[in-house]
Amino acid sequence: MKTNFQAIVVGAGPAGASAALIMARAGLDVALVERGTFPGEKNMFGGVLHRIPALEEVFPDFWERAPLERHIIKKGVTFVTEGSSFSTVIEAGSFDRPPFNGYTIFRPRFDAWLAGEAVKAGATLIARSTVDDVVTRNGGVVGVSVLDRGVLNAPVVIAADGVLSFTAMKAGLRRQTFDPAQMAVGVKALLDLPKGVIDERFGLVRNQGFANEFVGCTSGVRGGAFLYTNYDSLSVGLVFHLASLRTSSKTPYDLLNAFLEQPQVAKMVRGGRLQEYSAHLIPEGGYDMIPELVGSGILVAGDAAALCNATGVHLEGINLAVRSGVLAGQAVIAAHQSGDFSRQGLATYRRLMEESHVLKDLRKCRLAPHMLHNDRIYNDYPELVCGLMEDIYRIDGGPKETLTQLFLKRARKKIGVKNLVADAFSAWRAL
Amino acid sequence: MNIDEIFDFTSFTIDREPHIVLDPQVCAGCDNRGCIHSCPGRCYTWSEAEQKMTFVHDGCLECGTCYVVCHRKAFTRWRYPRGGFGVAYRVT
Repeated sequence: MKTNFQAIVVGAGPAGASAALIMARAGLDVALVERGTFPGEKNMFGGVLHRIPALEEVFPDFWERAPLERHIIKKGVTFVTEGSSFSTVIEAGSFDRPPFNGYTIFRPRFDAWLAGEAVKAGATLIARSTVDDVVTRNGGVVGVSVLDRGVLNAPVVIAADGVLSFTAMKAGLRRQTFDPAQMAVGVKALLDLPKGVIDERFGLVRNQGFANEFVGCTSGVRGGAFLYTNYDSLSVGLVFHLASLRTSSKTPYDLLNAFLEQPQVAKMVRGGRLQEYSAHLIPEGGYDMIPELVGSGILVAGDAAALCNATGVHLEGINLAVRSGVLAGQAVIAAHQSGDFSRQGLATYRRLMEESHVLKDLRKCRLAPHMLHNDRIYNDYPELVCGLMEDIYRIDGGPKETLTQLFLKRARKKIGVKNLVADAFSAWRAL
Repeated sequence: MNIDEIFDFTSFTIDREPHIVLDPQVCAGCDNRGCIHSCPGRCYTWSEAEQKMTFVHDGCLECGTCYVVCHRKAFTRWRYPRGGFGVAYRVT
């Protein structure tokens, strides 16, 4: 097996495959190392791929080529309590035309496709290979060691090995331990349902898709739920903050089960046949969680760099991963031109990231992860919203109260005016 | 949905060697054991009678939850499975 390359990418997910693709297209001899049998085999996510301008720059007809399930035309947020729910939905005509605003996808298919494009461009895919260390010389990274396989050499390595990134840890770029307050775990059930049933049930035609997020359905554990339509299946799952889940004595799968049995949700998933159950961590600490992005001979991209924007309103990751992979690739191309793979030589990556939306967005939303560590959001507010809507529409023969009276009565009892003002201020500041 | 069945819908290529190994002493002295209920794969079980934590690597979803949740650093080994082994998602 060939062991010398001009660049090594660890991890063939969206960040790694994009980096490999950009570098291979520029003529570099790139190894794309993946621990799965094929790229995407180990990867799961909620299910919505937001529009990725970074990939549209590479594939102008992205939506014609990529293996996509449906494009999202409808986005909803639902507040849930034990017995009631309140939803808001936006459906936009512009989301129904290219360039589409987002898609549902299956990672084992999408990631395999993207890595396949990197291979077509000339990258060497080395699958079934778990990287367990970096090789260093004079303090700089000059390769990686693969479990049971030996060493691969290159003057520069891109660590795109996912949320726990042992590659970045071994290179001394991320801290030795993670803070559970900065991590979330997602669990998901993929339920088969005929396309016609999905179209009828959610008001969709052609390849139109629906993405809905839920708050209030996690039995007090900080987190939320989602339901996304694939072509002929539903992705349904929950996400929990680890610091909250750890002390809750509740299990992710019992909470998933309870969610699927909530009366309003049960109607949406009725008839769905379980296909697959999956789980994964999400780096939700935002800007403050980002490790050193650049070391001598090494760059960090994607989840490995904690590039995830989870503000509650935005839930983005893959688009940031792809952009960071592309920029890391460009920095490596520049380093090959100058022959300088030191931290200074690779600092282009940091600069490109600062100029891109990736770090700008994460910096702007820096306070959001702290704002979201507020138990009231996951219990009291959904109950307030659903209760208020019930009050407004309930007809019981008595005289009507004004909306303000109804709201204040509920809010005083449930939240307290002081908390309400504080939470509104913290949300306004964070978002 | 029968919760016990959901674990049967995920595919694995099981290695003989576990990729995660615990120091039973550390788990026995732990006051939290958040791993037991946090693990989405239900891989951790605590036996009160034997005062022993068991980790079964067969059903590990490789999500990383235990790595983050364990505040006692109970792992004498925590790595991903060897190439080609472990969880194999099809349509997630």
